[in-house]
Amino acid sequence: MITQTAPPTPPAAAVPPKPPAKRRRRPDLFRTLSRVLIMLIMIVQVYPLAWLFLTSLRTEHDFATGDPFALPGALTWENYARAFETGDLGRNILNSFVVTMGANILIVLLGMMAAYAIQVLGFRLSKLVRGLFLVGIIVPVQIALVPLFIDYAAVNLLDTYQSMIIPLAGFSLPMSVYLFCSFYEYIPKETYEAASLDGAGPYRIFGLITLPLSLNTVVTVVLVNSIFIWNDFIFANTFVLSEELKTIPLGLQNYIGAMGKVDWTATFAAVCVTITPLLLVFLVLNKAMIQGLESGATKG
Amino acid sequence: MLPTRMLPNRSRTSVLVFLLPPLLLYCAAVLFPILQSLFLSFFSWNGISDMEFVGLANYARMFTKDDVFWRAFLNALLYLAICLVLQLGGALVVASLLTSLRRGRELIKTLYLLPAVISTVAIAFLFVRIYSLEPVGLLNQLLQSIGLGSLERPWLSDVNTVLAAVSAPEGWRFTGLYMLIIYAALLAVPKELEEAAVLDGASRWTLFTKIRFPYIRPVWITTTIMATTYGLRGFDIPYLMTNGGPGQSSELLTTYMYKTAFTSTDFGYASTISVFIVVECLVAVGLILFLLKRKSDA
Repeated sequence: MITQTAPPTPPAAAVPPKPPAKRRRRPDLFRTLSRVLIMLIMIVQVYPLAWLFLTSLRTEHDFATGDPFALPGALTWENYARAFETGDLGRNILNSFVVTMGANILIVLLGMMAAYAIQVLGFRLSKLVRGLFLVGIIVPVQIALVPLFIDYAAVNLLDTYQSMIIPLAGFSLPMSVYLFCSFYEYIPKETYEAASLDGAGPYRIFGLITLPLSLNTVVTVVLVNSIFIWNDFIFANTFVLSEELKTIPLGLQNYIGAMGKVDWTATFAAVCVTITPLLLVFLVLNKAMIQGLESGATKG
Repeated sequence: MLPTRMLPNRSRTSVLVFLLPPLLLYCAAVLFPILQSLFLSFFSWNGISDMEFVGLANYARMFTKDDVFWRAFLNALLYLAICLVLQLGGALVVASLLTSLRRGRELIKTLYLLPAVISTVAIAFLFVRIYSLEPVGLLNQLLQSIGLGSLERPWLSDVNTVLAAVSAPEGWRFTGLYMLIIYAALLAVPKELEEAAVLDGASRWTLFTKIRFPYIRPVWITTTIMATTYGLRGFDIPYLMTNGGPGQSSELLTTYMYKTAFTSTDFGYASTISVFIVVECLVAVGLILFLLKRKSDA
C-alpha cells in the first residue's frame, strides 16, 4: 500500500495543477496541503462541540468574564446540579424515547409492508404508489402543521404522544419504503417460488422469509430516522403544550428564563446531558449509521 | 413496464392487507394535509369563527400586497444559497481531499458527522454564544486575536449579518452528511479509469472534471436535491435564534408561515403560504433535474 511513487488513490484536484517542472514533488506538497485543510475544517466541525462541553464545566464567573477560548480555570459539576433542578431532564429524555420508539415501530413495520406489497406481491398501480411516496420526500414538513393542528383539535389528539408520532412517522415512511424496496429486489425469486411450492401463502412468506431477511435494513432505517425523530422540534413545538409531554428539544427551551435571562453554564450542562444518549449510540454504531446514511441517499 | 411480481399466487386481498395500513398513515400525515392546505388557502379563517370563502383573495394579497412575503422569499433563497455553498461545496472539497488520505478516514468521517446528531435547539444555543458580543463569544474573540477586531459585531442583531449568521449553523450541521455520501460515490469511481487518465498525463484538475465528477453525477444530483429540499424547509435555527428578527431581516417563508398560522391565527393565509412553499419545492427539484440532467447529455 505505502509506495511513495505510485499512490493507490490519486487525490482529486481541489488545487489547480502546477507547472510540470515541479511534478515530482507535487504529491507531497498536495498531501500536506490537503491534510492541513482537512484538519482546519475538522476543527471548525468539532471545536464548537468540545467548547460546549468545556463550558458546561466552567464556573459562572469564569464564563462571564474569561476568554472563551481559554481552558476553564476550575472544573465544576455545579452546572449539572442546577441543570437538573431547573428542568425535568429525565422526563424529557423519557418522552423523546417514547416518541422515537413509537415512530420507529410504525416506520419499520409499515415500511416493510408497503415494500412487500410493491416489490414482492406486485400490483398494477405499484408505480403510482411509489411516485406518491416521493412527494413525502420532496415537500417540507411545515406544510402539514396547520392542517394537522386543525384535525387534531377536531379529534382531540392535540397534546398527545400520537400527535408527534403520526407526522414524524408519516414523513419518514417514504425513505423507509424505498430502502426496503431496494433490498427486496435482491431477494432471489427462487426463494419465494420454493416457499410457494411448499404451500406457504403471502402472509407466511412475509413472516418466515422476508421479515427475518430484512433485519439489516431495519437497523439502517432505525438509525437514520432516529436522528431526525429524536431531534424533532417543529412538531413537538406545535402540537404539545403540557410539561409532562415535552421532549428534549422543548425541554431545553425552558432554560431560557423570563426576560431572556439565561443561565448559560447550566443550559450548556443540560444540552450535554440531552445529546449524550444519541451521541453514545452514534459513536458505538457509527459504522452502521454511516453506511445507512450513504445508502439512504444513493438508493432512495 | 410490467409490475414485478415475485409471488406466483397471491390474492388481491393480501395486497390490500399489506398496502392499506402504510397508505393510511401516509395519507393522514402527508397527502391529506397537502390537499387540506390547498383547500384552506381559498378561505379566510381564524380557527374560531365560520370559514369564509374568499376565492383567490389570499393569493392576490400574497403576490401583490404583502411586502413581508417577498422579503421572506428572498431571504429564503439567500439562506438556501448559503446552505448549498457550505454543504455541497464543503462536502465536495472535503470528500475529494479525504480520498487522498491514507489513514484516519473512518475517524474523520465520524467526527465530521457529529454535528448532524445534535438537536437544532442545542445548536441554536451554541451559536447564540458563538456570535455574542457581550460577553465576547468565540467568533468575535477569534476576529480580535487575528487582528480583525474592527469586524467585531453582535452578529445576530446586525441587520446586515443576521441572515448569514442564521444560515451558517444549518450549513455547518449537515456538511458531514453530504460529505459522506459524496465520499462513498468517489470511492466507487473505477481505479482503472483514473490510472489510465494519470498515465495519459492528466492533471488533478482534469482528472476531477473529466473522470471523477461525471462519474459521480447521479449521486451529485441526488445530493443536490436533498440539500435543496432541506434548505427550503429550514426553520428551526432561524426561528430559535432570532425568530425572524431583527425586523424581518432573517424571516424565511417557513417562519413567516408559522407565525401567520400560530401567532396571528390566520389559518387561511398561512395555508396559502404553505401551498407556495410546496410549489417552490417542486419547481426547485424540477429545475435541478432539468439543469443537471441536460448538462450530462451535452
